[in-house]
Amino acid sequence: MAIESLKYASPDTETKIEAKVFPRPSQYTTGLVDWLTTIDHKKIGLMYGMAALFFLLVGGIEALLIRSQLWSHNMEVLTNREYNQMFTMHGTTMVFLVIMPLSAAFFNYLMPLQIGARDVAFPRMNALSLWCFVSGGIILNLSWFFTGGSPAIGWFGYAPLTDTRFAEVLGDMGPDFWIFSLQMLGLASLLASFNFITTIINMRAPGMTMMRMPVFTWMTLIVSFLIILAFPAITIALVELMFDRTYGTNFYDFLEGGKPHLWQHLFWIFGHPEVYILILPAMGIVSEVIPVFSRKPLFGYGLVIFSGAIIGFMGFAVWSHHMFTTGMGVVATSAFSILTMLIAIPTGVKIFNWIGTMWGGRIRFDTPMLFALGFITMFMIGGFTGIMHSSVPIDAQHQDSYFVVAHFHYVLIGGALFGLFCGFYFWLPKMTGRMLNEKLGKFVFTLMFIGFNLTFFPMHYLGMIGQPRRTHSYNEGHGFETWNQIATIGSFILGIGIAIGVYQFVSAFFNKRLKPAGKNPWDARTLEWTLSSPVKEYNFARNPIIKARDQAWENNYGPKENHSQKEPLDDHGVHMPDRSWYPLLTAVGLFVMVIGMLFHASIDASGELVRNYTVAVAGGVVSTIGIIMWSLEGPAGYHLFPKEKEE
Amino acid sequence: MTKHMNLSKFPHRIVSLITGLLLSFLGSCSRIDHKQSALDPKGLVSQNQYDVFMLSVWITIFLFCAVGGCLLFVLWRYRAKSKEEAMEVPEQMHGNSKIETTLILASAIILVILAVPTLQGVVLMNRVPDPNDQATLDKLELDKSQIEDAITVNVTGKRFFWVFEYPQYGIVTANELVFPASKAVRVNLRTEDVIHSFWLPKLAGKMDLMPGQENFMWFIANEEKIRTGIDKDGNPYEVDTQTAMPSVFDGKMRQAIFAKQAFTDEFEAVGGLFYGQCAEYCGNSHAYMSFRALAQTDEDFDEWVLKFRNAQNPNLQPIPYSPENNYEIDDVITFSDEKLGEGISRDFRAVQAVTKGQSPETKPDAWEKVHSDDFVKGKALFSSLQCVQCHAINRTGLGAKGPNLTLFGLRTSLAAGWMRNDEASLDKWLRNSNDVKFGNLMWNGEGIDDRHPLRQLENDDEKVSQLVSYLLDLK
Amino acid sequence: MSDAAAHALDHHEPVTSTGIPNKKVLMWAFLGSDCMFFGTLISTHLIYRKISATVGGNFLDIRDVFDIELTSFSTFILLASSLFMALAVSAIHKGNLNSTRWMLFGTIIFGAIFLACQVYEFTHFVYAPGNELTLSSYRGEPHVFGSTFYVLTGTHGTHVAIGVFWLIGWLVYSFTGKMSTADAMDVECCGLYWHFVDIVWIIIFPVVYLMEYAF
Repeated sequence: MAIESLKYASPDTETKIEAKVFPRPSQYTTGLVDWLTTIDHKKIGLMYGMAALFFLLVGGIEALLIRSQLWSHNMEVLTNREYNQMFTMHGTTMVFLVIMPLSAAFFNYLMPLQIGARDVAFPRMNALSLWCFVSGGIILNLSWFFTGGSPAIGWFGYAPLTDTRFAEVLGDMGPDFWIFSLQMLGLASLLASFNFITTIINMRAPGMTMMRMPVFTWMTLIVSFLIILAFPAITIALVELMFDRTYGTNFYDFLEGGKPHLWQHLFWIFGHPEVYILILPAMGIVSEVIPVFSRKPLFGYGLVIFSGAIIGFMGFAVWSHHMFTTGMGVVATSAFSILTMLIAIPTGVKIFNWIGTMWGGRIRFDTPMLFALGFITMFMIGGFTGIMHSSVPIDAQHQDSYFVVAHFHYVLIGGALFGLFCGFYFWLPKMTGRMLNEKLGKFVFTLMFIGFNLTFFPMHYLGMIGQPRRTHSYNEGHGFETWNQIATIGSFILGIGIAIGVYQFVSAFFNKRLKPAGKNPWDARTLEWTLSSPVKEYNFARNPIIKARDQAWENNYGPKENHSQKEPLDDHGVHMPDRSWYPLLTAVGLFVMVIGMLFHASIDASGELVRNYTVAVAGGVVSTIGIIMWSLEGPAGYHLFPKEKEE
Repeated sequence: MTKHMNLSKFPHRIVSLITGLLLSFLGSCSRIDHKQSALDPKGLVSQNQYDVFMLSVWITIFLFCAVGGCLLFVLWRYRAKSKEEAMEVPEQMHGNSKIETTLILASAIILVILAVPTLQGVVLMNRVPDPNDQATLDKLELDKSQIEDAITVNVTGKRFFWVFEYPQYGIVTANELVFPASKAVRVNLRTEDVIHSFWLPKLAGKMDLMPGQENFMWFIANEEKIRTGIDKDGNPYEVDTQTAMPSVFDGKMRQAIFAKQAFTDEFEAVGGLFYGQCAEYCGNSHAYMSFRALAQTDEDFDEWVLKFRNAQNPNLQPIPYSPENNYEIDDVITFSDEKLGEGISRDFRAVQAVTKGQSPETKPDAWEKVHSDDFVKGKALFSSLQCVQCHAINRTGLGAKGPNLTLFGLRTSLAAGWMRNDEASLDKWLRNSNDVKFGNLMWNGEGIDDRHPLRQLENDDEKVSQLVSYLLDLK
Repeated sequence: MSDAAAHALDHHEPVTSTGIPNKKVLMWAFLGSDCMFFGTLISTHLIYRKISATVGGNFLDIRDVFDIELTSFSTFILLASSLFMALAVSAIHKGNLNSTRWMLFGTIIFGAIFLACQVYEFTHFVYAPGNELTLSSYRGEPHVFGSTFYVLTGTHGTHVAIGVFWLIGWLVYSFTGKMSTADAMDVECCGLYWHFVDIVWIIIFPVVYLMEYAF
């Protein structure tokens, strides 16, 4: 299977080397085919990002509908079922289709650049991950068009509400779509994570020791480990749920011996690490941005990384704090309460270190820095309310009230989304080669900051005066109206801010009037800033030899011995693996298989349940063929001979 | 190298924003005693939860000011004041382990401050204090009898209403939990369908109702707090017990609530009225699954229990008239009244001693009608429209699909706390309950379709008014 | 299947930062993740094992259903297949194609015997007269043991089946004449997977079967 000896042409030209058995797009492919078959981590990262930004708008519209419905008491913008579908879809979309893939987009694009690699370890698997993510997103949103519409079960789908026994629409398919889309998205995340772990462990440039890696790459590694260890729990929980719904098993059916409690445990064993899966990438981004705009190295680099790892590790030991009100008994609740408080310490460490980084620096307030500062302050508020919830007596009032809604939006918007926007403003010049408009960026930040706080700060108060979450309506006379109206106004401001931001990101790729960025517009510190903007498809013309942490900075300001070097030019150039159709084919096969599973059961004329797996099996066969062809075609590839300066 | 420099007065902006937000937040907090507010605890457990909460609020405000102040100072002190300065290379320090260790230790200590009351709170929430443990009782300022005479309520959640069973008294009611203010109340929580959560913010926080499992919580109200409050002008007031906790059994509570203010006023009509809500998403009409808890003095509670017990005692229900019996004055019997319709019988009370054979038909002077004609017709409709299949009246009817409606006329609210229980609301509810509470089982339950008589009530003024007078006269 | 090998081959560079081939790291990461999959399933089974002993007043003594002799036999077969797998890996490292083929063939056969035993076991349980154990019921009454049992052992069986197909792939490939020591890495990854599936069974067998006879 391995490629035998390769013949090379003269070193001045780009060459095509492989006699092809299977149809593969050539190295000169452009346009749609290029995007569909690419295995370049940068293009995959961009597609991840663009798809996630699209879903951000979808989820945002759902959020605005929710906020419109809550404008005042007894509103009828949505019926109660529609409202319940909205918050389910909003939650699922934002967690699985926005924040996670946005993080994955940055991982994909940046991590290989930061460690001096030409690509991830398994480029085609990376493409498969992308297409699984896309089909997962499509499957979830297809649910709108079938029996029962979208799921109305809440994003954590507590059993036994998901049981067919309690379906409020006959033959409700929403939860099935939800189950299968989460499985696809889980597969996407797992594939990506295996890849990132292998890449970071194995494909670092010479001299790039673990303790020289940028913090963002470290966070990629930690998050990848969290994903591969946490996702199995929900995958199995979903398998069990699927069996319950489709084949009548009794995992969560309490009337037949099951335990709905089990779902909550399995879900949160996944769900709590998931919280850190969402926030650690943003922390990584901020840990990159703050040193750059303070012109100082990260304060306590080792401690920041260690605390990230500790957060990830402890994330597996605190899941039950989501279940304080489910009656676990005094001992369990106390233990989880204390463990949860402990997790505040490594989180606090990060904040101290960010401030320590700025101390004595020369702080510039460009848009990325504004978002980073917004991240720190907003995340602090979210963290503090988190400490409150760790205390069981407080949680007994806060649980499932708007206070909790405020808390996790402070963490996920004020934290994760601000961090990711910070990343966009910081790295888009690297990705597009053009500087973003600073004024527009600051305007977006202002809108988002004000809108965000207007929306979510009043929710603390609303929760305390008794507004429960997930209620489509509230009665007059609870004193909820004023603050809900402020929140709704705020949400529209936030929505406009995000929309302009998304427009700005997308247009940066097309707007030729923007100023060129050059290699290192921010005078930044890490390895990716030694490359041209946008980065060439081969990343590094010659493999760098790393001499220090913050290599780009050291090259400019450090002592001579810290300057990076290059591996000598190789006579056979840069090997580029070929594009491939098979990741896409495999994902399409999986997609068809899922559709086949979703619609396999029907009731025939005599009222009998008929199971027909033809479509599912066909899909399975397609993806199996995809995998077989994939392994037979090999990476193949072509060679490029970039000039020394072209990187 | 750095082409983009903006030295806006960013810190100022943040300061003014945060101050503005804080001020407006504090302003709104001038009223924290809304109907369902956890910031206005009226019981021992909720007071404890509130105290821990406020402790955490002060801790976090302190931390926010300390860390945020530090951040602002750093931003201000080390901002690059000019393009040239922004190009300078400051000292590249990598960390300071002493500072870091100190901060880690300090944050650990702060957590201990919160952890200790947390653990005490966990125990308090989950365990009713031992009545023989005088030290604890003294600390909590409780009497031994308050714990020893605790009442037990079995709460069952159903989509989308609540069943309250009092096992000590053998009575069952729905959606309005009547309890003695001076006694501890043990609440056993169960559900027959999905997960619900019993949230009574002013008394005890919340606890989930898990299928296949019985959960427990308890609360005890604080009479003194029930009697005090803040009036519309923001002045504190204190009223006597009867005003704060009018009796339920004779309808005074209902009157007091209806008389004092509109259903939609923001603050409680009377101190003894508490609002509760299902807090775990349970399906389409989750939002409508609320309930009330009504605090009573010991005597009033006993009276209420007695009345309820009598109403639900099968041995005390009027039996059909028998010509073989003599009847004392005030004896109640049932006898057919063909004027109202075929097969309809109604209650008659003897106004004098009645000898054998003197039926209401043969000797009308000796008997008086207990209820109005509308009541009797309404009662007949209640059967013929199949309401009885789901609703129990004057029996415990455990396992019934719908709320128990015994003594419904004493209730203050309708449709699981969603509406005021008056003629107008009941009228609206009966005509089309789906309009009021989408997805409710009275409209959508098993076996109910467009042909069901219940769905024909929309334009039937007569039947609706008969049903209304029947239900509201149940008191 | 050979991204990394080819990558390494035509770059003549020190293969990776750690010296361990990429695919091996990938496989280890996957197996770590797979541990969590089985961990979740096994915990589900253990949690329900006692709780579900009597549902619907129908006491379940699973020993009436189990056929421990057969399962012991299939366990032994699966363990033995690991030996063949190890020999196959060793043979391909030495470039002994013929031996590799035979060893792969042995592994496949033993894997298939295990699967056949499982299929027999499942059908036997589902239709056991008087003791029918289905996904959702036991003796016609709703029960949860069947749910956890079939899903757990079924997931394991699926793993074995995937392994068998993978091995068949290698066997077929060995006849194309392209197989060489260059593929040893890939066969070794396959072997890692196979051993892992065996080890999981070593946990499942006592936890799901033997424990029913002990406690």
